[in-house]
Amino acid sequence: MAVDLEQPKETVASGERRHRSFSPRYPGWLTSPSLFYYAIFFLGPLAILVAFSLATQTGFDSISYGFDTSQFHLVTDPLYLKIFYRTLVMAATGSLLTILVGYPIAYWMARYLTTYKLLALLLILVPFWTSFLIRTYALKIILDPNGYLAKNLGIDIMFTKYAVGVGLVYNYLPLFIIPVFASLERMDWSLVEAATDLGAKPFNAFRQITLRLTMPGVVTGALLVFIPMSGEYIIPNILSGGNYEFVGNVIGDQFSSAQNQPFGSAMSISLMIALSGFVALYILFATKEERFGA
Amino acid sequence: MTDRRDHLNILAPRETKPKLDQLHRDIVRAVGHPLSRRSALGIGGLALLSACGSTSTGTGATGSSSATADALSGKPLGDHLEIYNWSQYDDPSTYKKFMALPDVAKAGLKINETYYSSNDELLAKLNAGGTTYDIIAPSQNAVAQLIETDKLLEMDDALIPNKKNLDPKFLKASYDPTGKFHVIKDYGVTMFFYNHTIVTEKPQTMLDFYNLLNKYVSKGRTNLLDGAEEVVPIALMANGMDANTDSQDDFNQVSDFLMSIRKGVTTITSSSYIDDAIAGKIILGQGWNGDVRRIVQGRKKQGDITAVLCQEKSEIWSDNWCIPKTAPDPVAAHAWINWLLTPSTAVTEMEYHNYPIPIPSALSQLPTDLSSDPLFNVPAKYTDDYQYILNVSPQVVQDRTKIYTQFKAG
Repeated sequence: MAVDLEQPKETVASGERRHRSFSPRYPGWLTSPSLFYYAIFFLGPLAILVAFSLATQTGFDSISYGFDTSQFHLVTDPLYLKIFYRTLVMAATGSLLTILVGYPIAYWMARYLTTYKLLALLLILVPFWTSFLIRTYALKIILDPNGYLAKNLGIDIMFTKYAVGVGLVYNYLPLFIIPVFASLERMDWSLVEAATDLGAKPFNAFRQITLRLTMPGVVTGALLVFIPMSGEYIIPNILSGGNYEFVGNVIGDQFSSAQNQPFGSAMSISLMIALSGFVALYILFATKEERFGA
Repeated sequence: MTDRRDHLNILAPRETKPKLDQLHRDIVRAVGHPLSRRSALGIGGLALLSACGSTSTGTGATGSSSATADALSGKPLGDHLEIYNWSQYDDPSTYKKFMALPDVAKAGLKINETYYSSNDELLAKLNAGGTTYDIIAPSQNAVAQLIETDKLLEMDDALIPNKKNLDPKFLKASYDPTGKFHVIKDYGVTMFFYNHTIVTEKPQTMLDFYNLLNKYVSKGRTNLLDGAEEVVPIALMANGMDANTDSQDDFNQVSDFLMSIRKGVTTITSSSYIDDAIAGKIILGQGWNGDVRRIVQGRKKQGDITAVLCQEKSEIWSDNWCIPKTAPDPVAAHAWINWLLTPSTAVTEMEYHNYPIPIPSALSQLPTDLSSDPLFNVPAKYTDDYQYILNVSPQVVQDRTKIYTQFKAG
């Protein structure tokens, strides 16, 4: 929502100072439909969540609103901090693995495929059109302790954090491949040729040119998978057998079985704050890249 | 809903319908040419208010809480019954036969049913308000909570003559001591099962079961039923404590106990354990008796599953018919409950869902392989000591949830 609302004011302010931009001036009120939508469906629920988190529970089905920060103190209980830590570590590991698996695929598609490029892209995307839940259940069948992997290859990881990791990488892979593929597509491969002509070893050429030029795509992709991984609910629920749950599952339990909306809301907000930190880092990093990079 | 322009939806007592129709006709006549309902009633807004005035004050006077029961008897059935239920929990013929009952058919009553998958979902819907359910089927803990938050209608026994068919032991319960807000739908117990080709001990109590977990976890998958309201109270009972305790000492003790067996638990799930156990994947697990019965039947060929109804204390649970206070048609709701208490209906139902309905005259009509199976018709000598698990207070529910979260986090 990077809407520049200050423009109309400036037109009145000074006639002398000319804007360098030749873009047409649209009145600010034209943004009102999207602002309205944003207010109702994003800010509204967020405000409700904040109000919940500061309320006090007075009984089943009754809370009194106020400014009670005690729920946020409860979030810092070692038990919940442990679950926060575990969630973020899992999401970070998952993102890293996604990069390791996704980047070579995107690279191969962009560099070596010509006729079948679109087909490959389609094959990456097709599973993504299936319901997330169904894909996770499919994985459950593959990882089954009595399945082929476990019986014949000895890979018996169902109901462990490894199963959760596999689920994360598998489900979010397309979200990473697409932006990286896009940035690899835009790249000018003659730069790599020039580097090798000038004596750079292939790996150095890759590291100093390809990787640097596609870094914004990698960062975008990584963030695109890291954020939803941190809020993951379905994958740990199905694949960990209750053994390796994320903050999302604990929040779910607070809203449903504990019927404790204030605490559930406080945890949601804490998670949002933690993730905002990562987004801030990203913005810092991404703008820097854009300044010096492609 | 189709939005016809000449159609106006008015929320008003049913008795006022003739008056409203009369009003419509009067106005049409006065104007001299046909009007749509909406514009006619728009013109006649004032007249409409005065026409309804007498009726609404009338119902307001009798609508006080103490008079709910008496107010219902003698009132006619409506033409719509809205049921909010667990899915696939009642035989389809039960609905058809109900609508074919003389009184019900005369009223032209139609049933609409929607489903929930957990008590939490039901509670959330009712707490949010604005529902039009006539019938709900909450479990015992939800019943108690709904009574506490004043969401249930006190039933009128005069409209449920078949209540006399119920085993008197099931008329009142710890979750509804007056017995006025619920009629039991069916009940069951929590037990456990094991693969006796692997587990050589003969566990008899839930504590025996817990104590074997650490030993056998390396031999195959072990499973506990999930949910804070299962894991914590069942472990409390196994250790001889009150399932519905609010004592912090008890909670500390049970938390230590649960953490000591944590390494012995492979999975904590209630959703897929039947299929997994039938596939032979679970060697030691908790289960509800109806499910365990299916597991034993499913493993008949291998014959390797022993099912154990717990000696000493375990959980007894129930699902119940209740009527929300906001039910639009409580008379039809009573008629539905009365129909479900008919012995012949109860027989059909039990053959469908395989959980006992405590109606002796119906149980005796069942085929003996069902009625004499202790996994179906659990003998009273077990259930006498069993406890219903309740949502005692928000604090207790939260304490249980924290122990459960800690247990899962390991």
